[in-house]
Amino acid sequence: MTEKNMDDARIGVWVCHCGLNIAGTVDVVAVREHASTLKDVVYTGDLMFTCSSDGLKAIRDTIDEHGINRVIVASCTPRTHEPVFRRTIEEVGLNRFLFEMVNIREHVSWCHMDQKDRATDKAKWLVEMAVARARELEPLDMETVTVVPRVAVVGGGVAGISAALDLGNAGYPASLIERRPTIGGQMALLDKVFPQNDCAICILGPIMASVEQHSQIDLLTYSELEEVEGHVGDFQLKVRKKSGYISPDKCNGCGECAPVCPTRIVDEYEYGMGERKAVYRPFPQAVPNVFTIDKRGTSACRIACPASVNGQAFVTLIQDENFEKALEIFRESNPFPGTLGRVCTSPCEEKCERATVDDPVSIRNLHRFLADRERESGAPTVSKISPSKKKEVAIVGAGPAGIACAYDLVKLGYPVTVFEARKENGGLLRYGIPEYRLPRDILRGEIGQVEALGVEFRTGTPVESVSDLKKEGFKAIFLATGASNSSKLRVEGENAKGVLHALGFLDRFNSGKKVELGQKVVVIGGGNAAIDSARVARRMGAKVTIVYRRSREEMPAIRSEVEEAEHEGIKIEFLSNPVEILKSEGRVSGIKCIKMRLGAPDASGRRRPIPIPDSEYTTKVDNVIVAIGQTVDPKGVVAGLELTQWGTIAVDPITFQTSKKGVFAGGDVTTGPSTVVEAIGAGKEAAVSIDRFLAEEDLSLGRGVAPTPVPDDEIYRQGHDPAPRTAMPVLTVARRKGSFEEVELGFDETRAIAEATRCMSCAACCECGLCVDACKLDAIDHERTDEIVDLNVGTVIVATGSESYEPVDTREYGYGILPNVITNAQFERLTNAAGPTAGKIKRPSDGENPSSIAFLQCVGSRDARFDRDYCCYFGCENSLKQATQIKEKYPHTEVAIYAMDVRTHGLGYEELYGRAREMGVVIIKGRASELEQDAQTRDIKVYAEDLYTGENLALTYDMVVLATALHPQPDNPEMARKLKMTTDQYGYFLCAHPKLRPVESFQDGVFVAGACLGPMDIAKAVAMGEAAAAKAQALMAPGKFSIEPIYAEIDTDNCIKCELCADVCPYGAPRLEDGTMVISKEQCQGCGTCAAACPQSAIDMKHFRTRQIMPMVEAASRNSALKLGT
Amino acid sequence: MSRKFDPNIVAFTCNWCSYGGADLAGISRIQYPTSAKVIRLMCSGRVDPLMVIEAFKNGADGVMISGCHIGDCHYSTGNYRTLVRYEALESAMEVMGLHPDRLKLLWASASEGQRWADGITEMTETVKKLGPSPLAKELGGGKK
Repeated sequence: MTEKNMDDARIGVWVCHCGLNIAGTVDVVAVREHASTLKDVVYTGDLMFTCSSDGLKAIRDTIDEHGINRVIVASCTPRTHEPVFRRTIEEVGLNRFLFEMVNIREHVSWCHMDQKDRATDKAKWLVEMAVARARELEPLDMETVTVVPRVAVVGGGVAGISAALDLGNAGYPASLIERRPTIGGQMALLDKVFPQNDCAICILGPIMASVEQHSQIDLLTYSELEEVEGHVGDFQLKVRKKSGYISPDKCNGCGECAPVCPTRIVDEYEYGMGERKAVYRPFPQAVPNVFTIDKRGTSACRIACPASVNGQAFVTLIQDENFEKALEIFRESNPFPGTLGRVCTSPCEEKCERATVDDPVSIRNLHRFLADRERESGAPTVSKISPSKKKEVAIVGAGPAGIACAYDLVKLGYPVTVFEARKENGGLLRYGIPEYRLPRDILRGEIGQVEALGVEFRTGTPVESVSDLKKEGFKAIFLATGASNSSKLRVEGENAKGVLHALGFLDRFNSGKKVELGQKVVVIGGGNAAIDSARVARRMGAKVTIVYRRSREEMPAIRSEVEEAEHEGIKIEFLSNPVEILKSEGRVSGIKCIKMRLGAPDASGRRRPIPIPDSEYTTKVDNVIVAIGQTVDPKGVVAGLELTQWGTIAVDPITFQTSKKGVFAGGDVTTGPSTVVEAIGAGKEAAVSIDRFLAEEDLSLGRGVAPTPVPDDEIYRQGHDPAPRTAMPVLTVARRKGSFEEVELGFDETRAIAEATRCMSCAACCECGLCVDACKLDAIDHERTDEIVDLNVGTVIVATGSESYEPVDTREYGYGILPNVITNAQFERLTNAAGPTAGKIKRPSDGENPSSIAFLQCVGSRDARFDRDYCCYFGCENSLKQATQIKEKYPHTEVAIYAMDVRTHGLGYEELYGRAREMGVVIIKGRASELEQDAQTRDIKVYAEDLYTGENLALTYDMVVLATALHPQPDNPEMARKLKMTTDQYGYFLCAHPKLRPVESFQDGVFVAGACLGPMDIAKAVAMGEAAAAKAQALMAPGKFSIEPIYAEIDTDNCIKCELCADVCPYGAPRLEDGTMVISKEQCQGCGTCAAACPQSAIDMKHFRTRQIMPMVEAASRNSALKLGT
Repeated sequence: MSRKFDPNIVAFTCNWCSYGGADLAGISRIQYPTSAKVIRLMCSGRVDPLMVIEAFKNGADGVMISGCHIGDCHYSTGNYRTLVRYEALESAMEVMGLHPDRLKLLWASASEGQRWADGITEMTETVKKLGPSPLAKELGGGKK
């Protein structure tokens, strides 16, 4: 290549007519003439089509003739034509970077058509700017990069499969990345493909199989592209291979796991027309032929349970009537299914996702049902666990925390002794909670089972100090002695006779001791102890009022308990607080209260009550029961341990270890009055710590990590019709008076199953473990983790497809409300032999074979209301295909297609149209305006105007099929960012040129194919996949690829090493090396952000140098000659 | 002046989004005023505040900086810097004796031809109301 003399700029300017595209608006000759007046311009010309071979030849010839060393072409956009002109000047030995392009078509003639004079002026102006820049252009050498001869194909639909196979056959190793567990994409879910109505899976299946067998193709299913780094020729990809929880190497697709799985979820592969199990294979022909476990996180109920009860699992197993396994799952956590089934505050239900549809699942009543059912069928036999470990553990306090801890430790093989000061075990469960809520035999039975496992209970044995236990040889100690001192009201008159404290009152009563109550009783407080005391007093015949300082919403007591108390005739005065207890001769005679209002929320999140001045009132009462909380007794075992400011034992929040090593504490003694389930949770955590302590392991390693909740968009709420919570049968109010019979009677089997069925299985797999037992190949591992696969490839092909629109949000034509209105994707499953109806066309409302079917076209397509004003491309042919299938199977079915237009634009598509017409399919020109359902028959009346006859139609059909739009994948913008692609206004990927570069993106080395570019049929997707493969091969075959040398350069003499450039660079290209700032060419992508940031102007960009841009800025801002209208 | 006031706007675009948006406006034959003269850079992050000042100094009636939407930058975070610099320039406008509305930032993707055209139309109207740049007057109508 002979370099031209670069010292003096000799600029040639060519202005293009582009036929009339430019010349129709811009006076091309005037622009050329103006250019000829500019400094350093030695030649000007105007050409009809500059990019034609004649035009290019003219440029080549003139360059030599006139000694031109800078070339300007004023024509169209450089985004498409710059490479053509650069090649041309290179052919005559001029460096390709000595070229400048002026866009007077897209930026002038086409957008200023009505302003011809101004358009011409603007074109002149833009040429001036280009001339100003051209003087400063300099020759640059292209960089070459070595191309890694490997490809990654993202998306395993028919386009991606086609691309991968062609590349593999050409000898390029290809990694095919598919996010679903199988390849095949949308096509694999179709029944037939038009126009010849071939069986879709029959023709695709063998191709899918050949992908798996191909030696050059690495199949990565159930995988997502996470990160992309590098550049054309050398991309580094990180692919997350999701666990699936089944070893693909061991699984042989036998399917033994699916029948035992209790979790049924909506089957996305049936478009919601059927259910599948949480362990599943999408369809029988899936490639690879392995099962996958669908886990979407940890269900909200499990996360909410302090005792980590797997609520979803036991509820799901109840649906499946596997009551034994359900109870076993509950007992994996704690021994109190029946007790907690009565007294738990059910934090699980508060978080239950079902509440977003109607009401939470009655989870508590369901485990109570399991326990009741077992008791009724005879007491369970528990066999003693003989201790496998030597170190003995002492537990002080046989309340819920202590027993839960003992239960877990005995199962781990430790010899455990529980010391209980009272006569009976159970703590608050025994002495605090009245019998009508928790019958004693239930509690005794459940504690009895723990004893049967081998835990030694020493009742009536108070422990005075921790050191006593150590002396006895216990190696670890858990303190769970509760909070037994009642809190005081701190008002005048509190010491009067007749003032009782809830815990003392309940304790005396529950111990069978005599308690005297007057006629009128006031209970102060809003917790469960207050409600319990009130209901006991009511049963003793008193008239009871509860005084609570906040409102009903803030009441911490169990809601159903509050409601039952009110049913029993107990009055509740909300927003009221006692200020004085009135006395008469040392005995309670009345109570003075003040009205409250609610202020801002306090530390507990509840709104703080504030007294209303001068609102005091008095009431006559005989007894006051104070139920405002308890505190820890500072004497006994607690002594000597570090306490909190509230007088509770201070413990580590994760390990529950106290200030003394080997001594742990949990339950109310550490928290103050809390719930039974919180206490059980603490006992369980302490058991983990004690086990680690005795094994001399780290106590906190890996603990305290919050489980991952289910992402909201993965919870499938559709298909769950509102169903009210199953009511709990209760004892009649009349029978409750003077009786301590249990009020809540429990669910029977029918009720329990009905209630369990309300569970939405939000986490999909419930981790019951039944599949593990069923798998004979030992392939299932619920602990299996995701794998990150690193790929190094030279090119990437994106073929991620699109998705069929389901008009649930818009309720188009009553979809989602009217059962007999379905989408064409769903209809496809109805005709499919592998579908939910085994290929028989049945309408959803009654399973009957419809005798008339209407297809409504363009639902969501060509519809500006949804910003989807494009055609779905295949809806017409697809409906014609489905119509002919109906006619083939059931010739007497009436079939009508309502369409604005029928577009049959492919090979053989018009013949399909003809065939459908011959078979008697009626085509009505007109869009349906409205549908109406017959309430009795569920038939659908379609209202439409026949545009040919002008007649208003109102015809009734048994079923309606909506030919719905195609939508881009919702995560296209994210994918575009990863691969530096661009999306269009709908969210599809943009190709480099819609006509000439249909499978290239704007990013070198990244190609696009298939329906991720917009709606298309199978034939086009296949062709594009193959085209992308060919393009990728063309890029890789030479082994090298030229890239533009647009890099940042640093003038180290001028640099002050402030490192601002390093701060702003997205790629980490600038860095300080041996005291000098350098910019790594490998990292630099050429954006120029660093150059703009440098306070010393020490950084410059090749081809976008400041001295090349500034003259252009100057020319753009003051073109005086034109501005003055000369 | 022989014509009524035609504002002159210098428009910096990035190569990937906003230049493509301007192309699309043309391809879609969306009509808008001729005021904007586009200077194409690789990224809006390349726009040195000195370039903007240079444009005003030479008499531009308005300057537009245009790039990819935040989060969509071809160079991942280049346009965050654009935003920071734009905000700094905006506060410097009055020091230069210019109305802040003479400077505009427009995010437009390659698929937003209409947005590009609307942006230019609106800015032209704004600058028309403000009249010629006071700095252009100082230049005495300017001389080439």
